[in-house]
Amino acid sequence: MSEMPKQSKESEGVVKALQAIVGEKYATAATHIRYAYSYDMSFVTPKLPDYVVMAETVEQIQQIMRFANAEKIPVIPYTAGTNIGGLCIPERGGILLDLKRMNKIVKIDPESHYAVVEPGVSHGMLAEALHKHNLRFGWPVGPPSASVSSCAISHGIGGLNARYGLNSQEITSMEVVLPTGELVRVGSCAIVDDAWHSTLPLPKMDGLFKGWLGSTGVVTKLGLTVHPIPPVLKVFTVSCDNVEDMYSYMHNLAYYEICDDLTAVSWWLAQVPIPYPYRPKPDDVPEMFSFANTNSFTEKEKEAREEIWQMVVDEEQKKGTSLKVTEYPEEALRARTQLPSQIVGSTKNYCKMAGAGISWPGTFTPANKWAPVYNEWKRILIEHNLSPSVRMSMYRGVHYGMLRAMIPFNKQSQEETENARKAIVECLKVDLDNGGIPYKPPVDFAIEINKRAHPGYLELMKRIKQMLDPNDIMNPGKLGI
Amino acid sequence: MEWNIPSLKDLEHYFWRCTACGTCRSAYEFGPPPTARPICPAGTEFGFEGFYSSKGKAAFARGITDGTLTFDDPEFLEAIYKCTVCAGCQNQCQIDFKPHIPEVIEAMRREAVASGKGPMPLQQNLVQSMKNYNNPYQGPRRLRTDWTRPFKKAKTPIKDINTQPAEVLFYVGCTGAFNKAAMSVPQATARIFQKLGIDFGILGENEVCCGSTAMRVGDANEFKRVATSNLETFQKLHKEKGVKTIVTSCAGCYRAIKKDYILSSEYDETMDGIQVVHTAQFLHQLYKEGKLPLTKEVPWKVTYHDPCHTGRHLNKFVVDHDGSTLWEGAYVDVDESDCLYDIPRELIQAVPGVQFQEMERIRGNSFCCGGGGGVMTGFSDWSSKNAGLRIMEGLETGMEKMVSICPFCYFNLTEGSRRVGSNMTLHDLTELIDAALEG
Ligand SMILES: Cc1cc2nc3c(=O)[nH]c(=O)nc-3n(C[C@H](O)[C@H](O)[C@H](O)COP(=O)(O)OP(=O)(O)OC[C@H]3O[C@@H](n4cnc5c(N)ncnc54)[C@H](O)[C@@H]3O)c2cc1C
Ligand code: SF4
Ligand code: SF4
Repeated sequence: MSEMPKQSKESEGVVKALQAIVGEKYATAATHIRYAYSYDMSFVTPKLPDYVVMAETVEQIQQIMRFANAEKIPVIPYTAGTNIGGLCIPERGGILLDLKRMNKIVKIDPESHYAVVEPGVSHGMLAEALHKHNLRFGWPVGPPSASVSSCAISHGIGGLNARYGLNSQEITSMEVVLPTGELVRVGSCAIVDDAWHSTLPLPKMDGLFKGWLGSTGVVTKLGLTVHPIPPVLKVFTVSCDNVEDMYSYMHNLAYYEICDDLTAVSWWLAQVPIPYPYRPKPDDVPEMFSFANTNSFTEKEKEAREEIWQMVVDEEQKKGTSLKVTEYPEEALRARTQLPSQIVGSTKNYCKMAGAGISWPGTFTPANKWAPVYNEWKRILIEHNLSPSVRMSMYRGVHYGMLRAMIPFNKQSQEETENARKAIVECLKVDLDNGGIPYKPPVDFAIEINKRAHPGYLELMKRIKQMLDPNDIMNPGKLGI
Repeated sequence: MEWNIPSLKDLEHYFWRCTACGTCRSAYEFGPPPTARPICPAGTEFGFEGFYSSKGKAAFARGITDGTLTFDDPEFLEAIYKCTVCAGCQNQCQIDFKPHIPEVIEAMRREAVASGKGPMPLQQNLVQSMKNYNNPYQGPRRLRTDWTRPFKKAKTPIKDINTQPAEVLFYVGCTGAFNKAAMSVPQATARIFQKLGIDFGILGENEVCCGSTAMRVGDANEFKRVATSNLETFQKLHKEKGVKTIVTSCAGCYRAIKKDYILSSEYDETMDGIQVVHTAQFLHQLYKEGKLPLTKEVPWKVTYHDPCHTGRHLNKFVVDHDGSTLWEGAYVDVDESDCLYDIPRELIQAVPGVQFQEMERIRGNSFCCGGGGGVMTGFSDWSSKNAGLRIMEGLETGMEKMVSICPFCYFNLTEGSRRVGSNMTLHDLTELIDAALEG
């Protein structure tokens, strides 16, 4: 623990003020409560918040923000803390604002295919509610108890990203409490109270609150596009002996835009769990596996997709690549197709063997750079005795996608945690230099991003942040500016 | 007798396996259709992460071992006890922490007791009562047989096993014996046994608490005292009175004898030749053999509540202790075959005239009544509030009676039903079976 508990007269006054807003039960400076918010699974060093508050209404959040702004106390929005980047670990203490109690599904419009949720609505809750209307969303391979809105505003990735793009691209409207306490809306709900269908054609001001790591305001309602569930699932699985051949296949298949999810994983990520420490792959098994999830409304539609896929396979094999049509390991396949998943969400597939820690260089990287970056990552990770458990997923189209290495480590050991941190930051630098950008970046990453950033970009960012949050109270320190 | 009860330090490796993923906060099932339901009574009531599920408990355990959290802080002490040790969270987790979750919670409580701070004041009364009266209800020994009065009156007295031999010992448990509202449980059990002509006896005033409550609140010494005494009694009854089967209608006693007593180095030796069963199992065996004539129509509209102690607490976890399958300490699998999930359901539905409907959270994902882990004693208001939530869930089924197999749940859910002003009534499975048997 980096900082000892803080209890003083001043802190008693703050707790009283917060209790006056949310009720006695829901604001505290008790050490044991703060302790449970001081760490997550990432390599980020634990730090204690000074207070923890659980708000239930928009008005309460407004009052908290007005109070915190007047007192210049940092506020860190929190829903489940599973972002894998230490993003809810307070860099400068302050108020940890836990939003789990705001868990209403405000609206599901089964006709117009959108939903409106509060921040505490979990993937599990929304999956249940949507299923009743035969609707779905892009569920991540994360914990079912984590927040839908936090995933979306953090540019999260779900199982429909090849078809509809990132979860943040599904956002249709937003209600936000600014760091200074004012309530604002962006998108159609700003013009007509209960119209949550689109951020366009208005200026896309939702960008002020997406990808900012909770540092520009507290989202209190989020509109999201949802989609029908086509009944016919077909997963195409192939393997390759090297990343270059796999990229070639994925690029070829992504061109036709027939998949909901087009992902490849290295042998190490296909193992349940990821080997820790590093274990060499047996020589006689392929290095990369891919699953391409498709969902069709009719058998004929499925067959049409199958026809395209077969054509791509034939083409790739004609090129002389190592591509083979293979069985994807069953448990790993379930983990990709049955989402949200309690098994994967509980981190079993990732860190059951290592223990308590996972971090990642999680990036959006131009697809044509995947192969060289992968090869470098592999070298770095093996050097650190870590498995190169890499995932590559095409986003809508062929130009870029997710490239990430899920790195489990033994968090009980400071040495092993530091080893993982060093390896991951080194990997990140390689990726940044190849045009990749990390998502949900821990501060270590933010610093590396900013080192390379155009000065105009940084200046603009600072100005926006200053405009919205003049006292720099919202999740301060995370942007590395 | 040596007891192998782990300390918090012994378990450190395991709570350091928790990734803080929070999956343990709700019972989620893919389905289809998918369902996501709250599973943690403490988190549901108190909200903050530390209270929530095994994620929060791992945080507390880490805080104790790294010296940040101490029992000198009364709020923290209380937080350690604001948990029903229901293992709902355990059922969700998939990593190596899983098999050890309730043990870690109780090991923290043992630390609290060892530090002289725990348990909570009302729970201290309970432990003191065990020391004074061999039961947690401050009931003088002679009151232990109050529940048998109707049998004496009806001139069908129950055999005193201290003086007369019998194959079956009915181990009544303190709740059924001392808690007036729950007395109907041993009464129904004994009536059934008499109707069926079972040769059984009770220890009466000589019955000693099983020690479950002491263990749940962290008083290992008191647990060891009564558990040792009971094991010795059981062996003596086996040798001298011919006891081959111990039957109990109490989920807490059953759990204690099955899972806590095995921590004794002499368990196997002492219990050689004695089987321990819950009444539900005992009756189910007779039912399968065609010896339970459920002939009377009982027009009840029933839903069933799985007690934690006869359900997921009886999970058998396969752990790779020596690293030969996966790695040392790896959680490999869970075997639910000891959990009493199907047996009570089968019996309920075997009763003619019964209409049966399941609640949403059942079996391994049953929502705890809120009474376990010393909570009913330590925090009775929260306990009955939580029971009210379970009753509301029961009401959603459209049924009118909630059946269970634990006198503790019985009492607490009755309180919950009263609290939410519902007409839902609680019944032990034995009451239903009794009603269906002629005689
Ligand atoms: C095993 C595992 C697998 C995962 N896989 C994926 C995956 O496939 N795709 C993916 O996208 N993610 C994944 N994640 C990350 C994470 O689980 C999801 O993104 C999740 O939905 C985030 O929700 P949360 O409630 O944990 O957010 P938190 O961690 O609580 O918050 C995330 C960020 O949002 C901010 N924030 C929270 N609420 C608000 C608010 N109301 N207003 C403003 N800012 C706010 C926080 O300050 C923080 O910066 C995975 C995590 C794990 C552990
Ligand atoms: S106890 Fe298990 S499910 Fe809960 S947070 Fe820890 S690892 Fe996740
Ligand atoms: S044992 Fe039950 S009450 Fe305690 S933390 Fe787990 S789910 Fe919550």
